[in-house]
Formats: sequence, structure tokens, C-alpha cells
Amino acid sequence: MIISIASSVRFPAPEFENHTLPVMGLESYISDATLWRVLLLSIFLMISGICFHRCRSRKAMLLVCLAGLLVFGFLFKACPCPVGLFQNVADSVVNGQSISAGYLLLFTIPLASALIWGRLFCSGVCPLGAVQELISLTTIQIPNAIDRILRMLPIQVLLVSCVLAASGALYPLCYLDPYLPLFTWSFTFPFALLTIFFLIVGSFISRPFCRFVCPYGALLRFFAIFAAKPPSITNSDCINCKLCEQGCPNNAIFPPEDQTSTVLHTTGRRRLSLLVACLPLALFTGGVIGHFSAPLFAQLHPDVSLVGDLQADRQTSATRSFALTGESLARLQAHAIRAQNKISIGMSLGGMLFAACIMAELIANSRRREHDKKYSIDSGLCLCCGRCYQACPLEKIHVHGTSEHEK
Amino acid sequence: MKRRYFINSLLTGCIAAPFTLLFRQSEDVETGSKTLWQIDPEKCTHCGKCKTECILTQSAVKCVHQYASCGYCLFCSGYYQDKRARFDTAGENLRCPTDAISRTYIEDPYFEYKIDEDKCIACGKCVKGCAAFGNGSLFLQVRQNICLNCNQCRIAIACPSDAFVQVSPDKPYLFKQLQKDET
Ligand code: SF4
Ligand code: SF4
Ligand code: SF4
Ligand code: SF4
Ligand code: SF4
Repeated sequence: MIISIASSVRFPAPEFENHTLPVMGLESYISDATLWRVLLLSIFLMISGICFHRCRSRKAMLLVCLAGLLVFGFLFKACPCPVGLFQNVADSVVNGQSISAGYLLLFTIPLASALIWGRLFCSGVCPLGAVQELISLTTIQIPNAIDRILRMLPIQVLLVSCVLAASGALYPLCYLDPYLPLFTWSFTFPFALLTIFFLIVGSFISRPFCRFVCPYGALLRFFAIFAAKPPSITNSDCINCKLCEQGCPNNAIFPPEDQTSTVLHTTGRRRLSLLVACLPLALFTGGVIGHFSAPLFAQLHPDVSLVGDLQADRQTSATRSFALTGESLARLQAHAIRAQNKISIGMSLGGMLFAACIMAELIANSRRREHDKKYSIDSGLCLCCGRCYQACPLEKIHVHGTSEHEK
Repeated sequence: MKRRYFINSLLTGCIAAPFTLLFRQSEDVETGSKTLWQIDPEKCTHCGKCKTECILTQSAVKCVHQYASCGYCLFCSGYYQDKRARFDTAGENLRCPTDAISRTYIEDPYFEYKIDEDKCIACGKCVKGCAAFGNGSLFLQVRQNICLNCNQCRIAIACPSDAFVQVSPDKPYLFKQLQKDET
């Protein structure tokens, strides 16, 4: 049997008498830890659910955090991590990109657990959350008004990432993730600055990435709002001591509605109707802003930037390789235009969706919550850290009282 | 609170929705779902980015040697520098910066070249040399046992030749074309 190579064979392979070709043996180099990840993720969620809802203990939550950091952060290198998988899903839905069942499970299990128990994934199973939880030395509470604005950012990041991933450009979250270099221990220049920034900010503001950037957090928040068994402070009568509100660094506890104020009633109602009336206008504005910001994001698409470089006669490694491949410029341009269209449509839709989210938040905030007579947790914002359980004086009586009673 | 449970059950349905993606894939791809990253060796232009762009400190990409297409040359252009003083194994004459290529004498005038995977840093220098003057039997591949299988491979975005493709776990490596004539 003679073996010859289809492409350039300059030197035909010699025929040896007593030498057999070594086997490359590459097939044995395969390992896929996705199944382990899925299994461990479910176990961790179970454990943190028990720690949070049954034991109601901050110390146990910190232990889960540490374990989560070691296993998902340092053992599995936090990549691929459920936090970024929404991009794969978006890519898969729009472009038909393959996605394995394991990845889909990694993506949906935290969402499912959020629907049952609130954002347990964020409590410490997520390695990025765990880093932030463990490095926060002191916590400065951000004023509620600023927090309300900043907490809209993740939704924006989510929408833009989805559009970019679905257009086949790049997965932006993989670059934005400031903690990933800590696990893989490889720092590249502009992104290392992000890491340093978030590490410093994270030492005095609780969970800056989770609350103001993380797009998966935005998804989890949406699911956790409708949790069947959400995190809750004292089941018994709250004495309105405010201790939990002060104890929560994530602004997730809202105070009871002021039952005595009747003056605001009519103005409140007027404001609500005004908001509802403004809804179409807001949607339109969002769509327009999205549409006009699209060219900016389109530059991130490799085909679009390559066409730009070729037209401006800039020498980059991409243009050099393009000359080598000998592909036609027309085909590349067609690809680029298709990508631009995708991004343009996506950004317009995204802008509208974002406007809708802002309006929903405003409307939810101007609604009168008649039956809120106690301090309660916003399950969408609560990161299940357990600090408020520690702070509440009734909690101590409750938990310890029942345990003594059982003895 | 009834409304809350209604929405909750609706969302539970939503969670199942992404799994329909699996059915779409299994229909149109006969080779299974393509979920692993790999380099198409025919497209790679050995730019050197594979060494630097991987999120791992030591790139998951390594050089492999397809022995079947190697010419077993005495003066291997992947092994020796372009401007070598002598054809000996002194470091300054060799191309590989980490001395990852070793050669063994087979029979006159043929030598076999072997890559030490632990030493290779995927700089692509030998690949370039072999492609320029040799048979192109040295090329770069993503080692699936090292690769984390990132959501999106960092190198795939940086690769100027668009050489990264996705492959199915059944066929995780891409080789150069071999033509087999039975005689
Ligand atoms: S908000 Fe995002 S980064 Fe933070 S713990 Fe949750 S999933 Fe992880
Ligand atoms: S567990 Fe309590 S303190 Fe922690 S984020 Fe939730 S509400 Fe805030
Ligand atoms: S980045 Fe692309 S062209 Fe450069 S060495 Fe890697 S596969 Fe080859
Ligand atoms: S020259 Fe570069 S790619 Fe080739 S074996 Fe050495 S380190 Fe690996
Ligand atoms: S998928 Fe990730 S680990 Fe694998 S080669 Fe690409 S960047 Fe490196």
C-alpha cells in the first residue's frame, strides 16, 4: 500500500523495511468533564438550598462559597461556566450553532433552582459570586436611588451580549468576566485592568459584578422573582427594627409600605397612569437608540472589521491571511452585510426590550403595596448570602427556640 | 398569590424550551453535534496567536506530527532554522524555541521527528517551516484533554485565518488529507 498526500508532496514518504510508522494516538486525548460539572452543580445547589432555607446560617453559606470556589473555580477553571452559556444558547437559536445537552443542563439547572428557591446559584455555587463574597472585607451600602439605576445595567449587558453572540461576532461576556483570569492565571493587558478594578471595588462594595454587570444574574433575577419558595425573613411578626435592611449589603430588602400616608394616593395613581401612557413612546425611543448604536457594536464582528481594514488599506494579520486564502472580496462583503443586518435588527429589538424593562421597573415601583406591613426580601435581588438571617433578632429566638423545643 | 404560581409554572415550561435545540441538531448533522473546538490544519497560517491567545497559561494547542505524510527528510525544514550555521543539534540551528522536537535515525538518509508535547508551546514555528519547504506534516491541533472547551474559544476569535471550526466529540481531531491508493 502506497500512501501519498493529495496536497503538496515535496518529499514522498520513504518505504522502510523494518520500521513501522508510529501511531499518533490523538484519539486517546479526549476528556469531557461536562457530566461531572452537571452532577456537582446539582449537588451544590441542593446543599446550599438546605444551608440557606433549613439551617438559615450565614456560616454554612460561607462554607458552600469556599467549596464552590475551589471546585468550580480552581478545579474546573470557571470555564465554561453557566454565566456565559446564555450566549451559546442565543448563538444556537439564531445560527444553529451546536450546543451539547450537558451545556443546556448547566444553563437551565440554576434557572430552575431560581424558580424554586431564589438565586441559590449566586449564593456561592457560582465561582464568580464566590470570589466576590469571600473578598468583601467591609460593605458600603449604595444609596437606593443609585442602586436602582445601576441594577438596570445587567439587563443591558444581557441584551447586547445576546445580539453579538447571535450575530456570530464574539461572546462579549467571556471578555468582560473579570474573575476568569484568576482561575486560569493568565492575564492579558486591557482585561487585567478590569480584574484589578473589580477586585478593589469588590473589597468594599458587595458583589459589584453580580449586581451591576452579570447578565446571567439578570436572567436569574427574573426567574427568582417568581420563586415558589423565595428567601424570607422572620415568618413570625416582624418588629420593624430595620436591622435586616441595614445588614443587607445588596439592597435586597425593602421596607414596609408607609400605611399612614393617604396624601400620596391620588398623585401616585396619576403617576402610574402617566407611565402606562408613556409606554409606546418609551418602546419607540428604545428601538431608535438601539438601531443607531448598532454600527458601533458591528465593528466587533470580525468580518465587518476585516472589510473595513481592507477598504482602508490597513495592514493587519487578518488582512494578510485574507490575501493568502484568496477568497473573494464580494463573498466577504456579503457576509459582513448579513452580520450588520443581524446586529441592527437585534439591537433595535434589544433597545425596545430594555425600554420595556425600565418601564416595568418604574411601574412596579410606583404601585402601592397595601399588604406589605413587614420588612421583606426582594427575591429577585437577594443573592442568598444569609447576612440578614444573622442580623434579625427574631431569627435567633426562632431558630434557637424551636431547636430547644424539639429537645 | 395565585398569579405568582401561574407565572411560575409558565416559566417552568420556558426552562424546558432550550432543549428543543438538541432535536434540531440531531436532524441535520449526521456526525453528531459539533461541540468541540479544533483547528483546520489546511486553513491555519501559523501566525503564532495560538500560543498567546488561549485563556490557559500554557496553550491547549499543541503541535502534532502526522507521520504518514512526513518525508523523513534529513534536512527537515521544521527542525532546522532557515539560517543555520551547520546541520547539527546545537540550539542556535534549531527552529523550536523549547527544543520540543527530537529526531531519531531510522535508516540512511531518513530521520524520524517526534514532538515532545509537554515542551511544545504552540508557537507554530516548526509548522511554518514544514509548510514552507516540507510536506506540511507538522501542524497545530487543539488538545482536547487540555482544552477547557470554552463557551467560545478565545483563539477562534483572534485567529486571522478563520481556521477554527467545531467538531463532534466522535472525531475530535482534524488531519491533513491522505490519498490511499491500493496497489
Ligand atoms: S450574579 Fe452572576 S456572577 Fe454573580 S453569582 Fe450570580 S451568576 Fe454568578
Ligand atoms: S440573604 Fe439577606 S442580606 Fe443576603 S442578599 Fe439576601 S436579603 Fe440581602
Ligand atoms: S491562530 Fe489560527 S492561523 Fe494562527 S496559528 Fe492558530 S490556527 Fe493557525
Ligand atoms: S516549534 Fe513551536 S509549535 Fe513546533 S514543536 Fe516547537 S514549540 Fe511546538
Ligand atoms: S477553547 Fe479555550 S482552552 Fe481551548 S484552545 Fe480555545 S481558548 Fe484555549
